[in-house]
Amino acid sequence: MLKVTKQGVMTSIQDIGRFGFRHYGVCRSGALDPFAVCLANMLLDNPPHQAVIEVTIGLAEFEFTKPCNFALTGGCLNAKLANKPIYPGWRYYAQAGDKLSFATSANAQRAYFTVQGGFVAIESILSSYSTDLQASFGGYRGRALEQGDNLEFEHGSAALAPLGVKQPEYTKQVRVLKGPHCDKLPSGTFEQLVNNPWTVSETSNRMGARLNGPSLLNHDVSIATQAVHPGVIQIPPSGEPIVLLNDCQTTGGYPIAATVIDADLRMFSQLGANQQCHFIECDLAQALKASDKLSAHLAQFNLAKNNNN
Amino acid sequence: MLEAHSYLLGENALVIALNTDKPSPSEQRRLFALTVSLQHSDAFLDIVPAKASVTAYLADPSQYNYWLKKAMLLWEESEEVAFNVKTHHIDVTYGAAQGPDLLDVATRLNLSPKQVVQLHSECTYQVEFLGFLPGFAYLGTLPQILQLPRKSTPRKQVPKGAVAIAEDLSAIYPSSSPGGWHLLGHCANTLFDPTINPPSLFAPGDKVIFIPNKEGIC
Repeated sequence: MLKVTKQGVMTSIQDIGRFGFRHYGVCRSGALDPFAVCLANMLLDNPPHQAVIEVTIGLAEFEFTKPCNFALTGGCLNAKLANKPIYPGWRYYAQAGDKLSFATSANAQRAYFTVQGGFVAIESILSSYSTDLQASFGGYRGRALEQGDNLEFEHGSAALAPLGVKQPEYTKQVRVLKGPHCDKLPSGTFEQLVNNPWTVSETSNRMGARLNGPSLLNHDVSIATQAVHPGVIQIPPSGEPIVLLNDCQTTGGYPIAATVIDADLRMFSQLGANQQCHFIECDLAQALKASDKLSAHLAQFNLAKNNNN
Repeated sequence: MLEAHSYLLGENALVIALNTDKPSPSEQRRLFALTVSLQHSDAFLDIVPAKASVTAYLADPSQYNYWLKKAMLLWEESEEVAFNVKTHHIDVTYGAAQGPDLLDVATRLNLSPKQVVQLHSECTYQVEFLGFLPGFAYLGTLPQILQLPRKSTPRKQVPKGAVAIAEDLSAIYPSSSPGGWHLLGHCANTLFDPTINPPSLFAPGDKVIFIPNKEGIC
């Protein structure tokens, strides 16, 4: 069993997200860095889309009640296993009674970890293990993990040999594609979006990153409500852009100035309050290439791992 | 002039949007028909109708060029009558504690509460689209005479099952949540249950008829 001994700021069960139900108003949910989910699972030979634990900001602690192989990915929240530092991108072996703790970091916001074989009592609901925190279903009882919760896993096998994987960097440069409503917004809105640095506001959460900048992009444009998704950058009339993230609603009525490319949306998993980011315009071919590069990274790791076995 | 256009939102969201923000009933039916034709393909992860558009999420983004054209052809071919609709009859207890805004709405519209109930329940609504909360269906169109802006101060907690109106729409809250709509009544139906598939009672295009319950104003 994995026992939650300190729940931390926000800790929840996630996977790569819930698809196929958006027309019923069901949001994607899922890890803000789905790539880290795949890597954690691959390090343990789990299916890549198994449930993982997303630790936000840190200050969380867990106890293994039996021996277990586990993998840690995502940002470095200065994790320790039995008081010894451990690092994202590696798999480790915990002894019964070992504590896994997360501190905090100025440069990282989210870490991911999972156990070999996955958490057996976590069921897939609407095709996903993710917790829908707004609608209270999925994951562990439809809520964030709390102190005293126990997560079952298969009886631990013998220790696996150490194995690590290079994680693609997290940067504060985020590539975007120009959005569909730029010609309705005041002229220069998109240019200001990509030419200015933006600061992540403290009111940001898993639904969206709210941004403050030197110039506001305020306007009085309204559009018909349309489908939106994680990565869409909406400009509300107040002019403070919102980058929609995994828990965003399925439809929205604010004009869309840009979309973050799929490969770079994971950067928002590590951007904390008061940190700056820059948007860089790219084209569709570059965006698709960036996604292919991430897929190739996974494929290469899989190949290397199988050759070593 | 073309009535619609298509574009790519991000890398994989194919949007077919009407050139108007306020579709006619016939254009709306054609959007539902288009949704159904897109559902016949396995090229999409999600297909999401909205007020004046349909967005289809491509499983393989590299197919976008083909689908930008193909979707417009499907729109051109979409016939209003190409889909079957489900009709839901919803039993509503109007007024008193179940519909705390009924009296206020009636006063503001210069009608009696009974007239408001009658006007709200004598027309057939259509699910334009879902959003805001899982299972939250935007039901159009509310008779013009009942149309009011949203409340200036939203309620912190609207109870699950509340039957509400705002602007040209009606809706039922599938779960308790903050909300700025006027609450006319309450229904006992479960609108969203993630443990069953489909999880939502209402789907885009469905018809909804409200039936006043004898325990409330009717």
